[in-house]
Amino acid sequence: MTTQNFADTKKPNPNTKASINDPSPIVLPGSQTKTAEQPIPMAPGGVASVSPSFPSPATPSSDTTIPPENVPLTPPPPPGGKVQTAPPTSIPPTPPRRGDADTARPVAPPSGPSSSTTGPAHIPPPPPPPKKRRRFRTFLITMILLSGLAYAGGVAYSLRSDNFHDFFTEYVPYGEEAVLYFEDREFRRRFPKLTNQTHRPSVSDPGNKVTIPSKSGLTWKVADGENNGSDLGQKGRHMSALEENNVKAKVERAQQTPSNATAGEKDAAIEKAKKDASPPSASKPTELPAPATKSTPPPEKPKVEAPPSKKEPEKPAEKPAGKPAPKPVEEPRRDPKIAPEVNEPSVFMPIAPIDPLKIKNADEPLVQDLVKIINDIITVANADNASGKYSSTMKKAKDQLAVVGGRIMALKTAEQDAAKQKIEETQKEFDNAARELVKRLEAEMRDQDAKWREEFESEREKISQSYEERLKTEIERTEKLAAQRHHNALLEQAIALKKQFLSDVTSRVETERNGRLSKLADLSSSVSDLESLTSSWNSVIDANLKTQHLQVAVDAVRSSLDQADRPRPFVKELAALKEIADADPVVDAAIASINPTAYQRGIPTTPQLIERFRRVAAEVRKASLLPEEAGVASHAASWVLSKVLFRKQGVPVGDDVESVLTRAETWLEEGCLDEAAREMNSLGGWAGVLTRDWLGECRRVLEVRQALEVISTEARLQSLRVD
Amino acid sequence: MAETNSVTPSSPAARTMRPVSEALLNEKWDHAISSMLIRSSLGLSFGVIFSVLLFKRRAWPAWVGLGFGAGRAWEEADATFKRGGVATAREGLRMVRT
Repeated sequence: MTTQNFADTKKPNPNTKASINDPSPIVLPGSQTKTAEQPIPMAPGGVASVSPSFPSPATPSSDTTIPPENVPLTPPPPPGGKVQTAPPTSIPPTPPRRGDADTARPVAPPSGPSSSTTGPAHIPPPPPPPKKRRRFRTFLITMILLSGLAYAGGVAYSLRSDNFHDFFTEYVPYGEEAVLYFEDREFRRRFPKLTNQTHRPSVSDPGNKVTIPSKSGLTWKVADGENNGSDLGQKGRHMSALEENNVKAKVERAQQTPSNATAGEKDAAIEKAKKDASPPSASKPTELPAPATKSTPPPEKPKVEAPPSKKEPEKPAEKPAGKPAPKPVEEPRRDPKIAPEVNEPSVFMPIAPIDPLKIKNADEPLVQDLVKIINDIITVANADNASGKYSSTMKKAKDQLAVVGGRIMALKTAEQDAAKQKIEETQKEFDNAARELVKRLEAEMRDQDAKWREEFESEREKISQSYEERLKTEIERTEKLAAQRHHNALLEQAIALKKQFLSDVTSRVETERNGRLSKLADLSSSVSDLESLTSSWNSVIDANLKTQHLQVAVDAVRSSLDQADRPRPFVKELAALKEIADADPVVDAAIASINPTAYQRGIPTTPQLIERFRRVAAEVRKASLLPEEAGVASHAASWVLSKVLFRKQGVPVGDDVESVLTRAETWLEEGCLDEAAREMNSLGGWAGVLTRDWLGECRRVLEVRQALEVISTEARLQSLRVD
Repeated sequence: MAETNSVTPSSPAARTMRPVSEALLNEKWDHAISSMLIRSSLGLSFGVIFSVLLFKRRAWPAWVGLGFGAGRAWEEADATFKRGGVATAREGLRMVRT
């Protein structure tokens, strides 16, 4: 705010341009003359002379006088701006001195105002006070201007910035209204369609005001049931929709009474009617004005008529004897809408210048209403004692009304006839339909009867059949029972006979047994002996079989050994043998005696053995001449000398190596491996060392042969043992 | 010498790692002869070297070396032959594992 202030104040000073808002920086002399001329045409005239001529504070004239002198002196912008932009706003601070304000506009020459205020410009001292005042005034004006500008700026800015809008509407007086006004304008400009209808009801829309009728809503009044029926005729709320019926009933009752009743009864009825009428009459005055206020066209007439009707009941009461009782009675009665009775008393009325209307068929409510209206008019006329004036017109009206009543009645009768016809037609249709229905029903009944009968017949047959079946089964069962019983009896008899027979037989057998059958025991014992014998034989046979198996197995081993042309393992044969031997200790021992390498690698055949013996013999001969602890020389000597040794033949006698070798060879040639091995085993020293392997082989072969021999002998022994 | 060498290969003992008993002597002979050759040649060569280096190419150092080598081989062969007979004492028995 303050910054704005400064800016505003500063700008005017340069004289080139005032603030943005001020379109009139033209306060400069040239323009000034123009402005001065426009508002005050008369000024030029009195430029020089006016000031003296007018003693009164007619300043404008004085203003004009001054400019020429003071133009160069001070060109204060604020007055000029003020004048052009908003003269009315500037006025308030100096309302009484409009002239002064005007004087200020012409650039406020120091002398000018002084002259205006005090009078003719002859007093120098005044200037200071005016200066002060002017200063104050200018200050005030500037303040107002500035505040106005600030206000306008605030409003403008508040339209843009929400924060500022809040601040402005909160703290600046009337700020909210101003901003709202501008916002509203903006809104209307944007949405011209929406303006009035929906959102802005406050914008002074007097056209669519909702008026609530005075009768609507709850009232303090108690609804009076004596209102002679309905208020249905009236506008506004209705007490009850049912009351119309009551009214009709009442009408009928009232109608009947006069025609049929005797005079006394009539009087009683009249009295009663009087009582009835009084409350409605009392209530009427209150009620009738209300409809009048409703501003609806129809009630207007009643309003006009109402007062008389209100008066009528009172009037007759006031009139003591002149008017007989009937009259007051009649009218209230007629009000509730009874015409026919009304006419009689009215006819006899002494004064009655105009007869109230009478119509024959008054039971029609429409006609009754018409009659009532006319009668009301008549009564008014009567009350005014102006019956003479209106009698002719009344008569006409009555006649026409009668005609109208007649027409209405005719219409009604026509309608009734049509309704009757329709009813008859519908009745006929109903009868036809009913007959058809009955026919159909009968037909259906018959059908159902037939069906049921058939079903009944079939059911009966079924039942009878089932009974027959049951009977049959019963009979069969009883027959079976009887047969069974007979059978049982027969069986019992048979059993008894059998028992007798058995006892007979046993007795005979007993006698016989003592004779022939006593030998049977011996027979059976001999048979059992035979059995045991056979069983023992069986065991023998089994043992034989075993031994046979054993022998076969041994033969297999032997054959495999004999037939082999080179050493071959015979583990399988030995295993089979051991199995067949069935843990025979002798066989087991025999097998255990065999060197495992023998049956794992096989044993050399005899030709192999012989061949190897020859090789071994050649080697042994080389070392045959070695002494004890022989060195290289002795070895070489023995090797050399062995070449020249003589070979022996046959079975030489002696312990030397050569003779042993020849003996072994001969034994081998004879096939006596055992002896040959014995001979070779006798060698010692290097000769023994050299023959060691051959000897081992020989031993193995011998072991195997021995084991086999043992096993076969064992088998033979077992077979012998059995016997 | 040539006969002994020819005899040994005819031995059927190829299955076992141990030489067949009848080939023991032949084996020893082979070993003795080969070692004799090697050691004598070694001694000879040493002798020759010594004779060249130290003895001004005299003949005797060579002979001495040969002698040394041959003697050593002889002694070894003699030992093996003698030991071989003794070693047999163990070999007649069957070793049973318990």
